[in-house]
Amino acid sequence: MPFISQIERQSDYSRFSSSTPIVIDNGGSYFRIGWAGEDDPRVVFRNIVQRPRHKTTGETVTVVGDHNPALLRYFDCTRSGPRSAFDGNVVYQFEIMEYILDFGFDRLGADQSQIDHPVLINECPCNPNQSRCRMAELLFESYGVSSIAYGVDAAFSYKYNQKKGICASNGLAICSGFMSSHAIPFVNGEPVFEACCRTNVGGYHVTDYLKQLLSLKYPHHSTKLTWEKVEDLKMENCYIAPDYASEVKIFQKGDKEAEEKTRCWQLPWTPAPVEEQPSEEEIARKAERKERQGQRLREMAEAKRTSRINELENEIRGLDFLVKQLEHVPENDVPAFLRDTGYASKQEIESNLAKATQSLRKAKGEQVENEEKGDTSNAEKYNLLHVPDEMLTSEQLRDKKRQLFLKSTAEARQRAKQRKLEQELEREKQMKLEEAKRLENPELYLDLLRAKYQELSEKVEQRKRQKTNGNNTNGKQNGSGGVGRGERLNAAQRERMRLLASAAFDRGKGEDTFGRDDEDWQLYKLMSRDNNDDEDDNEADLARVSARLREIDPTFVPKSETGSPAEPPGFRPLTKEDFQILMGVERFRCPEVLFHPNLIGIEQAGLGEMAGISLRRLPSNDEALEERITKSIFLTGGSCQYPGMIERLETEIRMLRPCGSAINIVRAYDPILDAWRGASQYASDMQLFQQQTFSRDDYFEKGEDWLRGYKFRYTLT
Amino acid sequence: MEAEVIEAELVLPTHMKFKKVQMYEKYPKGQARGRQWKHLKHIIQAENYQNQPPDEPNYVNIGSPPSMHPCKRICDITGYEAPYFDPRTKLRYANTEVFKIIRSLPNEYVQRYLALRNAAVVLK
Repeated sequence: MPFISQIERQSDYSRFSSSTPIVIDNGGSYFRIGWAGEDDPRVVFRNIVQRPRHKTTGETVTVVGDHNPALLRYFDCTRSGPRSAFDGNVVYQFEIMEYILDFGFDRLGADQSQIDHPVLINECPCNPNQSRCRMAELLFESYGVSSIAYGVDAAFSYKYNQKKGICASNGLAICSGFMSSHAIPFVNGEPVFEACCRTNVGGYHVTDYLKQLLSLKYPHHSTKLTWEKVEDLKMENCYIAPDYASEVKIFQKGDKEAEEKTRCWQLPWTPAPVEEQPSEEEIARKAERKERQGQRLREMAEAKRTSRINELENEIRGLDFLVKQLEHVPENDVPAFLRDTGYASKQEIESNLAKATQSLRKAKGEQVENEEKGDTSNAEKYNLLHVPDEMLTSEQLRDKKRQLFLKSTAEARQRAKQRKLEQELEREKQMKLEEAKRLENPELYLDLLRAKYQELSEKVEQRKRQKTNGNNTNGKQNGSGGVGRGERLNAAQRERMRLLASAAFDRGKGEDTFGRDDEDWQLYKLMSRDNNDDEDDNEADLARVSARLREIDPTFVPKSETGSPAEPPGFRPLTKEDFQILMGVERFRCPEVLFHPNLIGIEQAGLGEMAGISLRRLPSNDEALEERITKSIFLTGGSCQYPGMIERLETEIRMLRPCGSAINIVRAYDPILDAWRGASQYASDMQLFQQQTFSRDDYFEKGEDWLRGYKFRYTLT
Repeated sequence: MEAEVIEAELVLPTHMKFKKVQMYEKYPKGQARGRQWKHLKHIIQAENYQNQPPDEPNYVNIGSPPSMHPCKRICDITGYEAPYFDPRTKLRYANTEVFKIIRSLPNEYVQRYLALRNAAVVLK
């Protein structure tokens, strides 16, 4: 069951006299505060602080505990996550501790000028003195509490259950908390801290392990796996396997039993809306719109064309007129006349006229008979070519060069055209040949073609694989090969590297004979050559064959579409199963870290071994005492609630103990709240409780070193 | 602040009637907050436990020793018992199917799996 915070402000603070102690269980995950002598704490909340920024005003505020997440939408929590005052199981961040205590006392209803009550607060076993001093300082100086006592939560829980008769006065408390687990032996009702032992694993590690494993298993849903949700999943589903190895075998076999043991968390999922076909009307409307657009474009083009034709016609008319006028002009007035018109010579006018007529024809869409004209004028166009250089002026020489160039390019163009024509003819002939073959025996032809296709596609495929190195043989195209592991060069690249290396090596030593033979220079050609060309040929062939197959074979489907098994997930419609988080092995793999901390890299003994270590550490080597202790092994703390915990612990401890020894393991009445309840019960006898507290004056008089020796007695007489 | 936020008393006020030193006096606005708090590692160092009698319990000597059991080797991906070890990724694996998976994993995921058991490459 998930824990629920109680943070309503209490109204009866003034009802308690100033001698009534306030009891605080300052746990790793929850903070509990209440009055001594009562059965339940008044205020319980998660021991965390967030400092988000208010979205509208921009001021940084302090939020303690877990609140309604809906209210946090007014705040920008991206800058800082929830923070805890703990490092391990020791309080170190007293600024955060102060916020938490503020909130705790506030919700307890404190409204006087100071907290004038004794305070009993829990700490971890053997809390470092520095942390103890800072806590005392904070409580005395900020809140003005009258006196303080420090106790250990596991011991209070043990004492509480001892009173209830659940465990004996000699026993072993195994307390698995949020950040750490402890084994504390009790002798005559007092904890023996000399024999206590601590492993730094707890509920935090289990939840964190589960969270990491699930988000690695379901990377797409990692945002859904918040800490709170995973904590809930842990409490609902996790259990401790009686024997990890045999439990995991069930899942490895994967039969019905494993299926039954697998739990599923269905994420909210709604089927994607089925895309409905656009109606006839819609299609018609779309086509019409397209048609209208096309019409408009056509009209625009037409208008542009007519305007251009008009323009050209005008120009031709003008030039014609000019030429005619020129004919009438007397010979010696020509230059003057031309100066007026802006043309240099009669030839220029004529050439302009010719150009304009040509473009007019083009604009009107008539065939331009350029070629013949070119052919006829060939002789005069290249008139200088056959004249020897000596007979030409420098200007004419330049012209000759130009003519030479023009002629050669024109010829080359001609040749290319010819070649193209020939190729086309060749292809047609081949087509005809193939067609004849096909008609002769259609079945055989098809088979041959298919075989050829198969062969070619395999070749291309293999080439591709070589190119992208051997990693991706399973068809995954996600680029996982690019991470730097297993990079292999293909054959061509290898050869090139070899050449480069040998060239560099040869050149380094002795006499350099490179270049004596012309052959040597071939090396560079080899080096600079990239991939083979026949690859491209293969691909072109493949394209041709597949096109041909598509033509004549109705059943043919190109390979690239069927042959790739790893389609990107986006192409497959998402189903309900894609939004499920399945937990099989994880259900017991995560709590297993309590018994085998080395699974998460913590090199310490697990819960079972801790019991043995703790017994060994007892100062008196008394067999009978150990026997009595193992008869009363007591489990407390949030992480001892997994199903199967007691059974597993018993088998583990039985392995450590002599054969036939009596082992009795009990779980606390309430593993979560008993620590607070025990403390409350303890502090309810105010006369005796006062002997265990120290006041502000004591603290300042005796100093920090005295606090180091502070020892709390749990059995009062 | 919105009405419902104020009603739920979500925000911790800086002034508390029962406090002798108010928050805004201790940490004035605009000043660097508080002091650097020593982490547990440094607290332990400062405690100088080596100068105290060894039979007196303290935070360090109550810690559990390493486990005496042989190290349990489980498959990093599936949690099955792992007889094999991949020298390229350093992951442990149970069978050929898992091996295929780990060879197709991007490096980032490999490192995250390794980090789970504190074996990832940490660059400092």
